[in-house]
Amino acid sequence: MSKVEVNHLTKSFGSLKVLDDISFQVNDGDFLCIVGPTGCGKTTFLNSLVKLYDIDDGEILINGEEVDLNKHSIAYIMQEYSTMSWLTVKENIQFGMKVRKFSKEKLNRKTEEVLKMVGLEKFADYYPEQLSASMLQRVSIARAFAVEPDLLLMDEPYGQLDLELRFRLEDELIRIWQETKTTIVFITHNIEEAVYMSQRIMVLTNKPTKVKEDFVNPLPLPRNVTEEKFIEMRNKVTNLIKWW
Amino acid sequence: MKKKFQNSKTETVVYFICSLVGLLIVWQLAVSFTSLQKVMPSPFVVLGFIGQSLTQKIGGKILPLHILASLKRVFVGYFLACIIGIPLGILMGCSKTGKAIVKPIFELLRPIPGLAWIPLAILWFGIGETSKYFIICVSAIVSIILNAYAGASQVDQTLVGAARMLGAKPAQIFLYITLPASVPQIFAGLQVGLSSSWMAVIAAEMIRANEGAGWIITTGMESGNTVQILAGMISIGLVGLLLASLLRLIERGLCSWNIQGR
Repeated sequence: MSKVEVNHLTKSFGSLKVLDDISFQVNDGDFLCIVGPTGCGKTTFLNSLVKLYDIDDGEILINGEEVDLNKHSIAYIMQEYSTMSWLTVKENIQFGMKVRKFSKEKLNRKTEEVLKMVGLEKFADYYPEQLSASMLQRVSIARAFAVEPDLLLMDEPYGQLDLELRFRLEDELIRIWQETKTTIVFITHNIEEAVYMSQRIMVLTNKPTKVKEDFVNPLPLPRNVTEEKFIEMRNKVTNLIKWW
Repeated sequence: MKKKFQNSKTETVVYFICSLVGLLIVWQLAVSFTSLQKVMPSPFVVLGFIGQSLTQKIGGKILPLHILASLKRVFVGYFLACIIGIPLGILMGCSKTGKAIVKPIFELLRPIPGLAWIPLAILWFGIGETSKYFIICVSAIVSIILNAYAGASQVDQTLVGAARMLGAKPAQIFLYITLPASVPQIFAGLQVGLSSSWMAVIAAEMIRANEGAGWIITTGMESGNTVQILAGMISIGLVGLLLASLLRLIERGLCSWNIQGR
């Protein structure tokens, strides 16, 4: 379990201020969806959180301590493909488990489990060059789930997937979250996706990014996208995102 | 998919044979019907000479022994270039400090052709084998360093980030991400370095030698024997081709994941 505290986070690229004094908390076991206009700095925020970018000001704490990638169990599914082309699908999935020294039995069991989850059982011995874009993203998703992280960061992970698979993986993510109570920070520009999955929604403004609204999603799980209350919530978020 | 692959392999071999036969036909026609015949022997005379040299001595040795002597020089010089060049290139690509220290010296030495080192090589190492190894090594090392550097410095940072997220430590990132990601580029450098080694061995054998493919060419030039010169050149070409193919096979084994390596 992980509790994330973001205090006065500020990040600029040259003269362009991307994140402007952002503060919020993600509690243990939260499922937070962050939505905002395209290019508002959602990815910059996640990259800062995992220290891929140095921040200009403020602090990010996990369980009250500075982020330490070797100590805190974090998995990050990036927007870009991050599969290693010299490893097969199976080896890619096992990479994180091997560096975290999972037992052989657990490694094999988890590999089979996540391969099945993303529907790539038949492609275990394929190389990334032989896979489609959506399959590559599924490998990254499987790899992240395999390491059983305390904090799961997801940056528009389902954007490249076809609708059927997206719906399946959305349900799968909700199931895993309910089972494990892993803290999840999920970035998306798909409002329906955010309302469908999240327990909390945070809406960001356009650059320089600030937190516009942060509220609990009260709809009970499982949700139905055609229900009136769901549509009301979706419209509420849509209105908040409109920045023009 | 496999069937298609086999077909394309057969196709490559057929085209290879066709291009060689085509070259021989053009060569023969040019020699038969133009004034080229005054300075150029027929390809069959040259091939006949090569066949003869397999059993009859040129100078003190038969052709295969001359080739072996050159091969030994190439291997020693090239091996030295690899064991120095690959780590140096990777160091430059991975470490900012390493790059800051090594790159200025490398940039200064890079434009100097390997052959320009011949006078110094003679002064430093005499006219024995060591100077030949040295010339071959400095000729091959530039492309080996450059490509290893490019491979290590152009590793996709998304992968490095992903590995860090999964808990990999710097040493693991180097071993499991940087090194494998650099392999195709390193092999590209090894291929160019191998060609440079063969170019350099000819010059190196001009220093003073009594054996080798370069020696065959040099003595052919001194005695005005065009057939011998061409026989030496073709031998170098064939052995170079074999070595390059062997290197490509090793690359395919190591980079089976890479479409270009298949």
